[in-house]
Amino acid sequence: MTEVLLLGRRAVREIARYPEATIPTLFIPLFFLAVNIGQVSKTFPSSTPFLNGQGYVAFQLPVSLMFAVATATSGLALVTEIDNGYFDKLRVAPIRRSSIIFGRLSSDLVRGVMTSTVVLLAGLALGARIESGFLGAVVIVLLASLFGVAYAGFGILVALRTRNVQATQSSFLLFFPLLFLTPNFVPFDRLSPLMETLARINPVSYVIVGLRSLIIDGWDAGKIGVCIAVIAGMGVILTALSLRTMARYDR
Amino acid sequence: MERSVLDPDSFAPARAGDDAVIEARALTRTFKGGIEAVRGIDLEVSPDEVFGFLGPNGAGKTTTVRMLCTLLPPTSGTAKVAGFDVAQSPDAVRHRIGVALQEIGLDPAQTGRELLELQCGLYGITGRRARTRAEELLELVGLTEAADRRTKTYSGGMKRRLDLASALVHEPVVLFLDEPTTGLDPASRLTVWEEVRRINEAGTTVFLTTQYLEEADKLCDRLAIIDDGQIVTQGTPQELKATMGHDVVSVSLDGADPTSAEAAMQGLPGLERIVAEPDALAVYVENGAGSIAEIVRRLERDQIPIGAISVSRPSLDDVFLQATGRRLEGQEQGAEATQEGDKR
Repeated sequence: MTEVLLLGRRAVREIARYPEATIPTLFIPLFFLAVNIGQVSKTFPSSTPFLNGQGYVAFQLPVSLMFAVATATSGLALVTEIDNGYFDKLRVAPIRRSSIIFGRLSSDLVRGVMTSTVVLLAGLALGARIESGFLGAVVIVLLASLFGVAYAGFGILVALRTRNVQATQSSFLLFFPLLFLTPNFVPFDRLSPLMETLARINPVSYVIVGLRSLIIDGWDAGKIGVCIAVIAGMGVILTALSLRTMARYDR
Repeated sequence: MERSVLDPDSFAPARAGDDAVIEARALTRTFKGGIEAVRGIDLEVSPDEVFGFLGPNGAGKTTTVRMLCTLLPPTSGTAKVAGFDVAQSPDAVRHRIGVALQEIGLDPAQTGRELLELQCGLYGITGRRARTRAEELLELVGLTEAADRRTKTYSGGMKRRLDLASALVHEPVVLFLDEPTTGLDPASRLTVWEEVRRINEAGTTVFLTTQYLEEADKLCDRLAIIDDGQIVTQGTPQELKATMGHDVVSVSLDGADPTSAEAAMQGLPGLERIVAEPDALAVYVENGAGSIAEIVRRLERDQIPIGAISVSRPSLDDVFLQATGRRLEGQEQGAEATQEGDKR
């Protein structure tokens, strides 16, 4: 546990020292938030049924939160370390190798809390209201950050499998289809049949739906429960795969 | 070096007796695709020795070190380090070894001090003890002034020294150094040599790999020459050089055929051995200065043109040439560009 804390603290220090690595990850979510609202807010006025009286910003905010937290930053940091040799330095130390992964993931949690808070505040500034109140806002930030942690497992997995910087960098691209084959612009029932089918089998949809329910509807235990289950499932599967790859590294 | 932070007695089991600190038997590593990087290595390193692994790039030095350091499991064969089997008890080995690999493993975002304190933490040294230990080590490698700068601002020599210090936080029984001076300027190289000697005098066994003859000669108590995944010869530098003979007369042939030059030397008084190279001949004799005249006379007799001629004591390069048919010298500069070959 000490090892995870030590390595996590180091990774957090990295975030503070390289703000230029974190700030650009905020650009895309804030840009999409502003542009999407600007383009469709007349099409979907607050009288639109699925907006429950709010502006379109409330509907888009979860999508931006996902963009803010889903990064390949940890994977990139890890692959850089594999490249420069520090990774071997850690592997030769008498620590649990899993702590190298958990150290990284703990910094994803910290970074996720930071970036999702910024995006959430931006959404509030643009007029969104959190129906579930302050506690709901805290839960939104937490769930978004945990989604970021789960997603980071994917970058880490690619880093460990390929040991290649370019591959790890482009692993982030996988997120685009996952994020857009969702009810990101309109609810499920407004999608074309094909898109609806794809969106319904995409687990990321339920994370968006869960976060959105906290903003637009208030507390909906069912939607939040599914959201938590998806995040936990993703996290467990990706982390387990990373741990297995780590255990078999250079066998 | 003061042993104030860790109790050296905690390593007592591994140090007991005169048992070898490193012991490898038929150690082999074959990579995917059937590349045999290490092909059955046997070696023993005694406590308090500086043991050198001399060889060209791609000879299997790094692969051997990675196996001994528990980073890479052997395909077959066994190795014990500090009394523990590297494959059976890797964690026990890791507690007792310090490692500075060829690629200097530093985190550029941290300062030298932070890096050493984190390294302490990974070995269970925390709090004030970690701070004291980091301070001591910074002083040991002369980085006290640069301690609070991020390592990315360090020069190559400073990085190497910090890496060395980070391998020492837990006072290891064995220190592994993979090409500790490759890429360093001559002055930094000397500094690293001094550090290694000091560390060794403080009681740490050192296992280092090098492609530099001078480094092997000056720094190592004993060495093994490795080529193409196998140890071709081992001993103290003096022993190895003595096996070659007393003096070596090096004749560079001006385009002439070495075979005919070799034939011309048959029956030379005091001849110990002849090693032919593509464009040169190394003639090992009892008395070099006294044999020059006769050597020149014989070459002239057979109308073999001479480019240059010199007398010297046999060097490790002569040993290397005898064992492998190639010289190591001269490969050194060009070799740095092709380091990739030795990484795996």
